Amino acid sequence: MKLEETLRVLYDAGVEFVLIGGAAMGLQGSAHLTKDMDFCYERSRPNLERLANALEPHHPALRGAPAGLPFHFDAETISRGLNFALSTDLGDIDFLGEVTGLGAFASVRAASNMMSVSGIEVRVLSLAGLIKSKSAAGRPRDLYVLPELKALEELKKKTHSE
Amino acid sequence: MTQEQEKLALDLINNPPPGSELAKAKEFGVDLTLFISTLRRTPTERARVLSQGASIFQLAAQNAPAEK
Repeated sequence: MKLEETLRVLYDAGVEFVLIGGAAMGLQGSAHLTKDMDFCYERSRPNLERLANALEPHHPALRGAPAGLPFHFDAETISRGLNFALSTDLGDIDFLGEVTGLGAFASVRAASNMMSVSGIEVRVLSLAGLIKSKSAAGRPRDLYVLPELKALEELKKKTHSE
Repeated sequence: MTQEQEKLALDLINNPPPGSELAKAKEFGVDLTLFISTLRRTPTERARVLSQGASIFQLAAQNAPAEK
């Protein structure tokens, strides 16, 4: 996956997004690796258009769908769905309209903090937000990372680290 | 992380206060010493490590035996 490039593509297009999931964990200081990128996106029509335009040059396709299945990741398609698991030239990307335990974009945004990555300011879900969403999701793979996330949150608070 | 922050972090990692989240994570099996290297990195460096790390999954998928 090309995390820096993906962040740059979305940022340059003016897309309203928050980085969530494993990549957010990594940017917050977790040692876990991840194979894809997850974003929560804002669902106003202009933002859907910005998102679709930003992704178009990177050939978004539904991940795991049969070859040849008609799919066009445009604003209309996005407006009719909520969550999209895509394969793109930038890597596998999931776009979620809502996050379990947090809700829609406004709540996810409120649970994020700004981080400077490769010279651009991006919103990344905070450790508190990650802990809340993973606790609510409750799948074994979510619960497995909770001890690390809670310890990391405690360590960063006590040492005032970023 | 400054040297002072790193020293404090090392103290907490080596001797997590009883009942703390650090102690619980250590008991769970988390290698707390990895936090030192991750927190030393800037967010940009962390993003690069994540992208490089993701290639491991790609290699594993490429080398997986074909399903019969």
